[in-house]
Amino acid sequence: MVQQLLSPRILLVRTAAAAAVLVVVMLLCALAGSESISLKTALTGAHEGGTTNSDYEILVHIRVPRVILAAIVGAALAAAGVALQALLRNPLADPYILGISSGAGLGATLAIIGGFSWTLWGRSPIAIFAFVGAVGTVWLVWGIGRITGRFHVTGLLLAGVAVNAFFSAIIMFLISVAKGQQLHATMFWLMGNMAEEEFFVLWIGAGCVTAGVVSLYFLAPQLNAISFNPEDARSMGIHVERVQLLAFTISAFVTAVAVSLSGLIGFVGLVVPHAVRLVLGPDHRQLLPIAGICGAMFLVIADTVARVIVAPAQLPVGVVTAMVGGPFFLILLIRYNRKVSWLR
Amino acid sequence: MTASVHVQNVSFAYHRAQPVLKDISITVAAGRFLAILGPNGAGKSTLINLIAGSLTPRSGTISIDGINIRFCRPRELARKIAIVRQGSVPVFGFSVAETVLMARTAHYGPLGFESEIDRQCVAEALEMTATTEFASRPLASLSGGERQRVFIARALAQDTPILLMDEPTTFLDLKHQVGIYDLLKTIQVNRSRTIIAITQDVNLAAQYCDDAILLRPLSRPPGSTKGSDADLCRCQCRIGPASDVLTAGHIEEVFGVSGFSGRIGKENFFVPLGRMAKDAIRDADP
Repeated sequence: MVQQLLSPRILLVRTAAAAAVLVVVMLLCALAGSESISLKTALTGAHEGGTTNSDYEILVHIRVPRVILAAIVGAALAAAGVALQALLRNPLADPYILGISSGAGLGATLAIIGGFSWTLWGRSPIAIFAFVGAVGTVWLVWGIGRITGRFHVTGLLLAGVAVNAFFSAIIMFLISVAKGQQLHATMFWLMGNMAEEEFFVLWIGAGCVTAGVVSLYFLAPQLNAISFNPEDARSMGIHVERVQLLAFTISAFVTAVAVSLSGLIGFVGLVVPHAVRLVLGPDHRQLLPIAGICGAMFLVIADTVARVIVAPAQLPVGVVTAMVGGPFFLILLIRYNRKVSWLR
Repeated sequence: MTASVHVQNVSFAYHRAQPVLKDISITVAAGRFLAILGPNGAGKSTLINLIAGSLTPRSGTISIDGINIRFCRPRELARKIAIVRQGSVPVFGFSVAETVLMARTAHYGPLGFESEIDRQCVAEALEMTATTEFASRPLASLSGGERQRVFIARALAQDTPILLMDEPTTFLDLKHQVGIYDLLKTIQVNRSRTIIAITQDVNLAAQYCDDAILLRPLSRPPGSTKGSDADLCRCQCRIGPASDVLTAGHIEEVFGVSGFSGRIGKENFFVPLGRMAKDAIRDADP
């Protein structure tokens, strides 16, 4: 019996393998696009005999930032999805379930429609508004949820649903009174927008998300017990409230970072955790890192498809995540359904 | 490894106006097997959750080996008491081994992995409860009796001197009921654990338990007028050796059910009788 439990070595090997695959996928996806480029030419450097090397320009200033951004956002959403499904003990939970999406959406819509012209560190205020909106909404939902009990799952979920509906209504109101140009920008943001190109911002985002996923990993054994039954977890000597608050805060934070970088991309945070859980089992020590990496991989591929399939035009990446991810997930579900206890 | 439990003048209420337990005092000596019986709503689960530290008494103290559990950190308490609640199936498909291993979470190393000692505890607990053969199966694929054994294994893996059980045999067939009690008795005797179990089965309690508590609800059902609240409070619980507490008279008084009682060897037994059965007996034996 001891053999089939997760060991640190198995975990390390699997994580390293997944990370290696991710790097390869990112590289391949960076080379794909409407403009075909050759890695060999690009690697010769920025200037090739006095003329600008366009392959290098495209690769380094357009493709690579975009691939990195997709990886950051995918990892953040998948890891936060794993944590929230465990905390809420609900397979339908995703990173947006407690109102983060509508909060961020409201922030972004206000920024776009308000037409703010000021910049912070040379950046448009949309991301900042989205971040503030996301964090503020989570804080609000958490506060309302607390009124119903220490960590009352139903109370939290209902508060999330109510706040989500309310803010979505405000967004729809704002959209209905918006002018053409603003309308387009808002819709584009709400459907997921992968336009960030500033390496400085990307590194900050990558740092925040990596730190978040790593800290969630250290809560993974406790999340196992809490996802099983919080009352029992407490009797096993786990500080349930502390773990819940920490995991919740971290997931909300990485989700807010992801959302403010990329807009609203659905499906990743719901389906990637389930797909990984179906294949590898529900142990969060393995689920968190692997789902993070798979989420990154999934979104990188989805975004590449979105760029390539109707080139030179682009699809919103959210369209692809659901169109490709949905059938893929259903295949997994049918194949592995004997292992899924929540379907019984 | 044994420990005694002292419940001293404990009162508890979920809402101020509706006390559930009033001035309860119980002493469980180390290595004893205590059964808690009583009608629904009498506060049995509340009492066991108070002892487990999941609830805090409004007044009174609960101590283990003389140490008030109120001043224990969760981790310390988890080394003294393990509890098996009424079976819950997890949302996610953990395997039996993973489930049992959870009991050791508080002992994990800094990287979140179990030590060799933790694995030994798990292996031993699986062995004792005869669940080793299911170790790699998902919990949800087991039958009720098997699952209950896994939950007992998890409590054993926590390696505590005291085990609390909330109705360990509900929904189990006769064979598994007896099997669970045989297992608990073995644990009590061979591992010298103190066991406190809530049960609805008067006869199994009489057979297996050293001591018994009969608990009655504080608030009487509407319509009943006999006695004042003060009377009820004075004797909300009756405690003593199982053979003294679980007599037909006491059971009839607390549950309001009459029945057929007798003795097999040293053990009392009690068969509750419904109206038809009573009529039949009266007709046959005027």
